Amino acid sequence: MTKTADLLPGTLDMLILKAVSLKPLHGYGVLVRIKQISGDALEIPQGSLYPALYRLEHQELIAAEWGQSENNRKAKYYTLTEAGRRRLEEETAGWNRLASAIASALNTEPEPGGA
Amino acid sequence: MTMARLMPSVFQTLLRRPAFEDGMAEEMRFHIEQYTDDLVRSGVPAAEAARRARREFGSVDNVKADCREARGLRLFDELSLDVRYALRRMRKSPGFTATALATLALCLGANLTIFAVVDAVLLRPLPFPASDRLVSVFNTYPKAGVPNDGCSLTNYYERRGRIAAFSGVAAYRDGTAIVGETGATEREPITRVSPDFFSTLGRGPVLGRAFTEEETRPQADMVAILTDGYWRQRLNGDPNVIGKKIRVNGFERAVVGVLPADFSFLSSRTRIYFPLSSEPEEHSPKQRHSGNSDLIARLRPGASLAEAQAQIDAHNAVLAQDGAPDNKMMADAGFRSLVVPLRADHVAAIRPVLLLTQAGALFLLLIGAVNLVNLLLIRASGRIKELAVRQAIGASRRHVVNEVMVETTLITLAGGLLGLAVGAGGIRLLGALGAEHLPLGAHIAFDARSAAVALTGAIVLGLAISLPIAWYNLRSYSAGALQSESRGGTANRAAQRLRHGFIVAQIALAFVLLAGAGLLGLSLDKVLAVSPGFHPEKVLSGRLSLPRKSYQDGPAVLAFTERLQAELGRQPGVLAAGVATNVPLSGTSNKSTAKIKGRTPQPGESPRGIYSYSVGGDYFTALGFSLREGRFLTAADSRRAERACVVDEDFARRNWPQGGALGQRLFQGSEEGPDAEAYTIVGVVGAVKQADLTDDEAQGAVYYPLGHRPDHDLFVVTRTSLPPDSFAAALQSVVRTLDPELPVNDVRSMRTRIADSLVARRSPALLAGLFSALAVLLTAIGTYGVLSYAVAQRRREIALRMALGARPEQIRAQFLTLTLRLLAAGTVLGIFGAWLTGRAMQAVLFHVPVLPVAILAGAGGILAIVSLAACLLPSHRAARISPMEALVEG
Repeated sequence: MTKTADLLPGTLDMLILKAVSLKPLHGYGVLVRIKQISGDALEIPQGSLYPALYRLEHQELIAAEWGQSENNRKAKYYTLTEAGRRRLEEETAGWNRLASAIASALNTEPEPGGA
Repeated sequence: MTMARLMPSVFQTLLRRPAFEDGMAEEMRFHIEQYTDDLVRSGVPAAEAARRARREFGSVDNVKADCREARGLRLFDELSLDVRYALRRMRKSPGFTATALATLALCLGANLTIFAVVDAVLLRPLPFPASDRLVSVFNTYPKAGVPNDGCSLTNYYERRGRIAAFSGVAAYRDGTAIVGETGATEREPITRVSPDFFSTLGRGPVLGRAFTEEETRPQADMVAILTDGYWRQRLNGDPNVIGKKIRVNGFERAVVGVLPADFSFLSSRTRIYFPLSSEPEEHSPKQRHSGNSDLIARLRPGASLAEAQAQIDAHNAVLAQDGAPDNKMMADAGFRSLVVPLRADHVAAIRPVLLLTQAGALFLLLIGAVNLVNLLLIRASGRIKELAVRQAIGASRRHVVNEVMVETTLITLAGGLLGLAVGAGGIRLLGALGAEHLPLGAHIAFDARSAAVALTGAIVLGLAISLPIAWYNLRSYSAGALQSESRGGTANRAAQRLRHGFIVAQIALAFVLLAGAGLLGLSLDKVLAVSPGFHPEKVLSGRLSLPRKSYQDGPAVLAFTERLQAELGRQPGVLAAGVATNVPLSGTSNKSTAKIKGRTPQPGESPRGIYSYSVGGDYFTALGFSLREGRFLTAADSRRAERACVVDEDFARRNWPQGGALGQRLFQGSEEGPDAEAYTIVGVVGAVKQADLTDDEAQGAVYYPLGHRPDHDLFVVTRTSLPPDSFAAALQSVVRTLDPELPVNDVRSMRTRIADSLVARRSPALLAGLFSALAVLLTAIGTYGVLSYAVAQRRREIALRMALGARPEQIRAQFLTLTLRLLAAGTVLGIFGAWLTGRAMQAVLFHVPVLPVAILAGAGGILAIVSLAACLLPSHRAARISPMEALVEG
């Protein structure tokens, strides 16, 4: 079993938006997709997935529609809305800025001959 | 994302709640099945896979709860839980619930009733477009004692189109007319209006047309516009009525228009409108100050009242230079034309009384609210421990506050709904008290608007009341109710202080209300004690309007009145009969001026407005005037060539302070005429209250013989030995035998006229009395409730003291002292409040000082008796506590 990392607070929404931006997914599909696109490194606590989905739907960042699953069961599919796409772009840019700032901070070498 | 955008989504979810719940369950079931399938596919045994899938998903119920919260549903779920809980608690204490609901229903109902009047009279816009731009213009002669003399037709013709600030000017004149075919005539209130009347108001006939300029010529004025009411009742709503004829005062008039159903001009009861036609001399500059019409105007958009006033002043100033003989006299009288908002002008007299009554109702509501807070506080203290336990095991402060708010708001809302019913009844009661006779009183209605205000008020009240209760609940927990015994905690002491403070407030408020009611009552009493100046007992009066077609000139009118007096004199029980152009306190009065022969006015002395009436028959005897000097006018004076008149003592005293009015001569109007037109004063009579019992200023009055100063509009007056109302039918039939087409209307005894003239004083006094009675009752309930609770709470302490030898009288005295202390504090505050109230009420009081001792003593006495009575039962109960039982129970 690969080692999984804990989710940073606030990143779950971003990951969900990313997952449904690729193609419409049902709840379980979102979970599988996040695990897959993170190379099995991220695992979402199952209990927090649905409240996050309902919250995003309430904020109209994603939209839900009932459809048929691969094995012909009724399932609720989530898609990204226009507002969701903008939010995802903002969050991605913000995350990248933060990540590179943290990376550069952590890579700083001690200055030679410091006082 | 804004609240406004989210709320609809919350409501949609609420509406489709079952579908939402089903979908959520389905979605999670699907998730667990899919996961199980995946686990099975990866080699886990089926039973183990299902178990693991469920375990890793966690509690489905918790996830669902989180999802609901994410959707903003949690608040609503909690709310419905709180509502159910509150309802259960209300059912469990029916005594409290009934008291609270009755208190609220009465207090809110009283406020709703008064508000419906305030709304109709003071607040609601008049039913015309941009009605705030409608103004009234009237002439005032303050130095002559005539504050408002209406306007003249001359004013109308001189002003229309010439005042830039006005987009429209119109004149009107109220009157009555006999309408209908011979044998089926009715007297109807009518208004004659200028052609631009309807366009100035902004609303006109829905059927047909308004009047034309051509129709202001007396030769072309036989047309009429009907109100919707007249059209429906008398003409069955005939859709082809335009062009048909109706008979008015014996002549035919063609109907040219019908007004909309909701057309109503101020308080007018007019049923038919006629053109205000006139001969040119009726609006010549000589008639400029005749004051026989009223003028309204519409301000042009953007024009202000001040601009209009300035333009009217400038216009008057130019006209005052036209060399007319009375210009100087009018200037001396302080003549000006005032532009005032139409509605404000119309309701000015009643405004302070209405606001005062509403303030009284609000005081009552305040007392009721204080009562409710105290009852709720007592109830809350019964569940301190329950709340403390719940907070200890995790109930949030927000939840405790919510619960209280839900409960109190529920109670006030229910009380508000009951209050709507009380208010609907109250508005009926107001009808009985004569509210419909108030200006705009016909508009008083119980409608969605007042109901919405009442319910909003109920909700706000509920939230306000919940604040002290919530404070108490939270505080009791932080003060450690779990550890403390049932009494002794600081929270309890604070709550006790709060309860006692509220009782003090309640006593103070009730005191103010009682004092206010007392002031109004005392004032009414003073007014009733005023002598009207005549003897109103057993006097019946009615109005006649002789149509010009049958009674073309003065002699015809005189002949009719003489026949009428003779016929009335033959009726059994009639002691005296007479006619006059007006009777005292009829609601109308007419002033003009008189010139004393041979007297030159002092420079700057202004002519006075004097009540001037024509009388016939034995008018003075019939009404019971007192004779000071000389003799009364009699029927013979109307036939005599030498003109005689009678003046009242005020007129005599002002003009001949040393006496000697008899034999002096005067002329009608402001100019001396030929000697043959001079009237010789043959008698001086006592002054009567002409317009109102509270008239303090001596205006003076002159009475002329009807034969020399005829008029078609008359009052007929009889003094009988029988109760006057029983003579009403006989009066009608006597008139009908003389002229079958002539109705007598407004038939009332003089006693009734006096009573009716006091409606604006009696009704507020009655209402204030009613409010005070309720306030006293509420104070009694409040005091009783708090003291009963104090006794119950201190049961063990009392028992212990009694076991140690305290006598029952000592226990009783303890509660008596408490009551007296609260009473004393409340009374002191109340006296201060009553003083403020008395000062604020001076404008509506008649000869009553700000703070009469009798009223203070009365209010204090009533409250003392009531609070001591309320304290009797609880203190008695305390004194009878059995030490054994109480201590063993504990």
